[in-house]
Amino acid sequence: MSLLIYGTISSIVLALYAVGFSLTYGISGLANFAHGALYILSGFIAWSFLNQAELPYFLSAILSIVISGFIGFAIYWGLLLRVRGIPLAEIVVTFAAGVAILELLTWKGFYGIQYSLPLFVEGGIEIGEVAVDYQRLFVIGTGLVLVILLYLFVHYTKIGLAFRGMAQNERTALSVGIESDWIGSLSLAFGSALAGVAAIVILPMGLMESAIGYEVIIYALAVAIVGGLESTPGIIVASFILGFGQVATAKFLSAKWMIIVPLVAIIFVLVIRPSGLFGKFKELEERI
Amino acid sequence: MPEVEARYRKKRLDRGIKARADTIFAIASYREILYLLLPRALPVILLLVLPLMLKGYWGKVLIYSCMVGLLALSWDFLACCGLFSLGQALFFGLGAYVAGILSYYLHWPPILTIPAAILGGGLLSAILLSPVLRLRGVYFAMVTLMMPLLFMKMIETTGLVGGSHGLSSLAPFPNEWVARYLAVGAFLLVLFIFRRMINEDYGLVLKAIRDDDRAVMSAAINIYWRKTQALFVAGAVGAFAGAFMTHHYQFVGMSVFALDYSILPLAASALGGPGTFAGPALGSMILVPLSEALRALGGLRIAIYCFILILSVIGLPEGIFHYIERKYHQFERLVRVG
Amino acid sequence: MCLILLAMLIGISCSVIFIPASSRSAEPIIVGVPTSIYTPFGRDGLKAVNMAVEEINAKGGVLVGKEKRPLKVVVTDTRDGEPTTPVHDALMAYEKLILEQKPHATVIAPFRSETIIASMDLVAKYKVPQLHTIAQTPQFQAKFRTDPEKYKYLFRVGTDAAIDAGYISGALDALKTDFGLNRIYFIPQDTLWALGFIGILRKHCEKTGWQEIGYEPYAAGATDFSPGLTKAKEGKAQVIAMVWDVPLGAGIFSKQWAAMKVPSLVVGFVPPMAAADAWKTLGKNIEYSIQVEFPVGSSLALKKLPKTVGFLDKFKKEFGKLPEGAATISSSYDAVYILAQAIERAGSLDPDKLVSALEQTDYKGVGGRLRFNKDHIIVFDSNPEETGVCVVFQWKKGERVPVYPAFLAEGKIELPPWMK
Repeated sequence: MSLLIYGTISSIVLALYAVGFSLTYGISGLANFAHGALYILSGFIAWSFLNQAELPYFLSAILSIVISGFIGFAIYWGLLLRVRGIPLAEIVVTFAAGVAILELLTWKGFYGIQYSLPLFVEGGIEIGEVAVDYQRLFVIGTGLVLVILLYLFVHYTKIGLAFRGMAQNERTALSVGIESDWIGSLSLAFGSALAGVAAIVILPMGLMESAIGYEVIIYALAVAIVGGLESTPGIIVASFILGFGQVATAKFLSAKWMIIVPLVAIIFVLVIRPSGLFGKFKELEERI
Repeated sequence: MPEVEARYRKKRLDRGIKARADTIFAIASYREILYLLLPRALPVILLLVLPLMLKGYWGKVLIYSCMVGLLALSWDFLACCGLFSLGQALFFGLGAYVAGILSYYLHWPPILTIPAAILGGGLLSAILLSPVLRLRGVYFAMVTLMMPLLFMKMIETTGLVGGSHGLSSLAPFPNEWVARYLAVGAFLLVLFIFRRMINEDYGLVLKAIRDDDRAVMSAAINIYWRKTQALFVAGAVGAFAGAFMTHHYQFVGMSVFALDYSILPLAASALGGPGTFAGPALGSMILVPLSEALRALGGLRIAIYCFILILSVIGLPEGIFHYIERKYHQFERLVRVG
Repeated sequence: MCLILLAMLIGISCSVIFIPASSRSAEPIIVGVPTSIYTPFGRDGLKAVNMAVEEINAKGGVLVGKEKRPLKVVVTDTRDGEPTTPVHDALMAYEKLILEQKPHATVIAPFRSETIIASMDLVAKYKVPQLHTIAQTPQFQAKFRTDPEKYKYLFRVGTDAAIDAGYISGALDALKTDFGLNRIYFIPQDTLWALGFIGILRKHCEKTGWQEIGYEPYAAGATDFSPGLTKAKEGKAQVIAMVWDVPLGAGIFSKQWAAMKVPSLVVGFVPPMAAADAWKTLGKNIEYSIQVEFPVGSSLALKKLPKTVGFLDKFKKEFGKLPEGAATISSSYDAVYILAQAIERAGSLDPDKLVSALEQTDYKGVGGRLRFNKDHIIVFDSNPEETGVCVVFQWKKGERVPVYPAFLAEGKIELPPWMK
């Protein structure tokens, strides 16, 4: 029973990490390897508003999400715009930007046990014999809502469809009137804002430190690849596979092996079915 | 006629001396000979002389630059074949561990472990990566990114071959000069070999695989075998770097698979200009001393390093080497149009 | 545009090499601090070192032969407190410090046990006496014994995992005799020293009749302890013995333990739960947890040991708050004084003479009476007049109350109400 509950929580956490990353990388075809850095940055921004500007928690959270969105926007205009189309350069530039952000945070002194966001609501409930606190329930709720919203957004709204169109064939999208620069920057802004939402919801469960940034990007990448880059149901399925895989490994084998699961999963999926479980089977493009 | 705003375009012309130094006229006079010879000879002479001039710490930095240069060269070699690798640390780490294991458990001296590591590392990398040779582009890159991480975590978790505290007190090189000249010599040798190889038939086939693999397949050439060979060569070069560092520091631990060793050659190639082997070599010779010089700045070091990387990729996507080459061979003029 | 920016950045960075090292007016004695500055232990240890150096310089400096020379601290960040840093990188930073700044001795030294072991050969090669205070691995002595003559430049000022485990064993004994607890679950960090620590605890518990519910090492970078905590809860463990030094994991553990309402007492060493302002950050959830501080005076002022009170008051006055690292800080302070005294005894800065002088150290410092044994480590026992001491404390009502050993205790161990 506890396996089920904690497995679900782990999985939804992974899905939250991946949702923003998938939006930019999977759906719009823009690599944003600074995703992990933006995740932690929004956490620290919220902390600063909360503790230094003494704003109420709710307001700090909203502000930090909005600011993350703007930073994502800026990353597109400042960095990605100039290297669009060269996949290697995109990855290198955004990854370097992410590392730079993380290092600047450490340099500025943002580490230590006082950097911790408070829980939304203290206390919890008991499901069966397992104590689940409200924060974790909140995480599950937010995760599910976000993924469903993402799916609806990407399939039924004009902007969402524009994101997908741009990834499929940019020239055609341009000729239909989808301005790829504007749409690209919007996509990055939304992706970063989603990272901010994930941060606000997940970070109160632990401490904040720059090292988390590296981990988030690896998990997000794992979920995106295993699930299939452009598919939204893929995010949920992949995160459940990875989340339960980790928790089950910890329970039946040993906790030491937990970190191996996402890595092995990525390699496994890439060797057998590179587009991921739910991705469109792009045989011609991915294999030779 | 309405006033049309004057527009200009850049016109590039070969320099006179370049035109004169082409083909047989290259030996017409000393000027032409020097024009062709200097850019090739100067770096070699410089590298051969530097170990004598640099003291202590900067000598170590030179060795480290040569190792990163070797990793960057191996990256570029794979890139010439169309295989984008984000995991040079895999080759580095495999070579380091093969040498470390042979030295720690069997007590072999460096003169035996290094060749063994070159062969072993090359074979292991080729074997490990051959199942994913069918993948193209970004997917292959992802696998190479994950492999070193996987190895690092496996070693940490299983505790084999030293586990998280590594194998220490391994045999060092007989003396500092051997180490320095071995590093510089290997670097220059590999640079020379790769530059020649890529323009011979063998290299041309590899470049063709990068350009259009289906066309090569239809010419009845087995591209998987060729790619595996390329992996072996690149893996062997990376393994040499790993084995060398193991003996130089007398230590090997799971951190040889760290992301640093994948990113640094990549950054060096991005800075120097991928495609020509001289670019990554130049890039690593600039980046590593820069990174060491930045240690004085303490915590800001990696941040500034990243800024430099970003600026160089955005501002100079062709790479420093191509830029220098272009300026050397051509001059530019603004010419009025319309 | 980008090109100009790029050229400027490269130019500025290169010019940094040419900034000359500060002038050597009175020929200072150079003390190197190669450690991971961005960890609480490194950062606060450095502050303690600076404090000690200021005090010594205020009195004129250290007498070397006939002249008094001031101490000067040079720092390099080895970054090995971060799990992703390769050991080679840390060693490069250390070597750069040795070759460029030419320290006469180093204190604190690298953070990670892996790096300390690897640095032993480096230190032996350059013959720069090293007094390390943070790394706790017992492998240090083991390697030292393989070649004492080669490694004689290395000293440890502070404890190792065996000593810390001994103190916690004492606390566990008290828990058993006073309250009859007997079910224990072990969660060590998967690094040398933590495994050593918990290993000793396990043996002790086996001997004294504790029932082991589980033993789960977690990787140092772990961020989710729910499987282990669930197992502890299901196995009805009464005590969770946890040893962790990476701040991130420890913080997450504390929060998860509170959130999952695991009815066990946390005993061991979890720095975020042991620090002075842990109550403020983690809340009353950490009440009743029992932690060991090694050695005394690192962050908890003990009424029975006035030197600890004095040191921590000075620290708080100078830096505004108590040290965050809940261990090893007083060792850094003591190490500087030990070094200064050894230099005066030796009358010179020659490494070999300095080493012989260091071996004769007999210093009453904040951590107790500090003397090196033949393995170049400090002897710790339970009498501050004779040896170094550590203390075990328990959080009660927002205060850390020392509970063991008996002569330092200011209160007794209490069980939380939800455990009675």
